[in-house]
Amino acid sequence: MAALEVRGLRKQFGGVVALNGIDLDIDTDRVVGIVGPNGSGKTTLFNVVTGVHPATGGTVFWQGQDITNIGAHRIARKRLVRTFQQAMSFPGLTVDENVRIAWEQGRRGGGRWASPGLILDFVGLAPLGKAIAGSLPFGSLRRLGLAVALGVSPELLLLDEPGAGLNDSEAQAFAAVIAQLPPQGIGVCLIDHDMDMMSELCDRLIVLDFGTKIAEGPPAEVLADPKVREVYLGPDKNAAVS
Amino acid sequence: MPMTDNSAGKIGAAPEGARARDRLALLTADNAAVPLPASVQAITAILLAALLIALPWLGLGYRFLSIAITTLYTAIGLYGLGLQFGQAGIMSVGHAALMGVGAYASAILSVQLDLGFWTSLPFAMALSAIVGGVIGLPTLRVGGQHYIIITFCFCALFVIVLTNGGTFTGSATGLDVGSVTPLPGINFDKLSNNYYLVLAALFLALAATHLIGISRYGRTLRAIRENEQLARSVGINVDLHKLGVLMVSGLFAGLAGVLQLYYLRHISPTLFGAFPSLYLALMVMLGGARYLYGPLIGAVIVNFLPEVLNLDPVDSRIAYGVCLLLVILLLPGGVGAGIKNIYCAIAGGSVTQGGGANGRA
Ligand SMILES: Nc1ncnc2c1ncn2[C@@H]1O[C@H](COP(=O)(O)OP(=O)(O)OP(=O)(O)O)[C@@H](O)[C@H]1O
Ligand SMILES: [Mg+2]
Repeated sequence: MAALEVRGLRKQFGGVVALNGIDLDIDTDRVVGIVGPNGSGKTTLFNVVTGVHPATGGTVFWQGQDITNIGAHRIARKRLVRTFQQAMSFPGLTVDENVRIAWEQGRRGGGRWASPGLILDFVGLAPLGKAIAGSLPFGSLRRLGLAVALGVSPELLLLDEPGAGLNDSEAQAFAAVIAQLPPQGIGVCLIDHDMDMMSELCDRLIVLDFGTKIAEGPPAEVLADPKVREVYLGPDKNAAVS
Repeated sequence: MPMTDNSAGKIGAAPEGARARDRLALLTADNAAVPLPASVQAITAILLAALLIALPWLGLGYRFLSIAITTLYTAIGLYGLGLQFGQAGIMSVGHAALMGVGAYASAILSVQLDLGFWTSLPFAMALSAIVGGVIGLPTLRVGGQHYIIITFCFCALFVIVLTNGGTFTGSATGLDVGSVTPLPGINFDKLSNNYYLVLAALFLALAATHLIGISRYGRTLRAIRENEQLARSVGINVDLHKLGVLMVSGLFAGLAGVLQLYYLRHISPTLFGAFPSLYLALMVMLGGARYLYGPLIGAVIVNFLPEVLNLDPVDSRIAYGVCLLLVILLLPGGVGAGIKNIYCAIAGGSVTQGGGANGRA
């Protein structure tokens, strides 16, 4: 049995069907990637799984428990934690305090970090501890988003385009940090558009299109799938993968 | 500060303008999140405490001491408002009504059941807390701006209920109480003793505010103020904490209301209506809700300004309006922020500037 099991998940915004019956099984010992064109429902999937939006239908099981619609804070306390596509922080507070807030929440029932400083060290933000989060350069803000999520001591971390807006070297450094998580017992489910990075990082890829899972498997296999190629390349198969 | 990025491009821009802008940036900087060294905090606290304790001995006169008492109990109410607004980001413009709930609860307990100051105090504080929480229920569904309107309506409604409450609330004339039940050897009819009673309560309020500010609870409230969605995603029960802080704020308001009641010995509905409520909001913004001494500074300015400048009530309203505009334009964090920014500048480089020095991507 997988740690996270999603069954027939549906989400409708008025007339828009953002998720149309998704089934997923995600374990906590690896990096799973979720890809798909813009508007295919990737972020919505995270939002519904983590209780930000209520599900229209279907069920989410986490470690065998039904967590559908139990509320975002309760899901986070069960150590299923996510980051946001828009880089988020507590902008008026220091970097230290940002991480400490999350760490104090994660410490209930035993967290994995002895102090918030260790998290800053891990993501490479230690020298900026006294800076105000809102004044951070974008790359550091992305790291802070990760640090805050790690502070909750997640068992599975859902990362929504953590590399978006970073330059190549920043994105590579970020990927290196992400790759260190599963060996430490933190499973990762990653959304990103960078196919090269995804192929390298992920053990498994899931492809969404119009709120439906159209492919799943090892990256090389999935990217060779004609259905996936059609979604990404359109009927004209000569363009490059974006 | 990001501001420096803009000016960096325009080489040769008037240095005068740049310097003025730097000076303005110094004032408007937000250093609320910057911790002060413990020694500075301790010295400030000791000096302030000494000054407040010595006040009745400085021979400033009866009138001065009366205004000081008013200032201090108002400040206690403001510490509640400072907590909900400064820490949790929930503003209220009906806070005087919450003080009124405490004052009237205590007065009614005195008139109907003959309960004195000390016995009625816990009930009055509890009732203010409960009412604060109940008015807060809509915040869970609507945004902050709507909550402000709701507090204003509550305030208006409260006055209407009091005015039409017959002998139970004393209607428009209000209610009278006796003096504070004496403690062994301390008679609170003496003005300076009443002052010390209110001062003791202020110290409690200050201590509570300080402890909340440095605690995990305070951080949780600031997390909610800064980013509700992120707060939820790290496991904070945002709804519960919003109601909780409004109830804690109600406790402060109840305490302030009862002290007000037993200082004035007579209360009437107009004390707790829209105008006093707006003044409370003004004071907390003037002083700086996020700073430990901000509410006290705000209360001192608003209560002593007409006295110092010899203003009649109409003039003083105009003066308050001008003050508020100046603060919003020049010191968005309040006078407390200005003082702290000047300290940070003197102590060498605020953290905000340190962060900016690393540049932006
Ligand atoms: N809060 C919302 N209200 C209404 N519609 C929404 C909302 N969130 C998402 N949608 C719609 O749901 C669909 C899926 O959006 P979603 O953000 O999940 O896509 P995505 O795969 O994350 O796209 P991207 O790659 O651009 O981030 C889109 O049609 C979007 O317009
Ligand atoms: Mg998205």
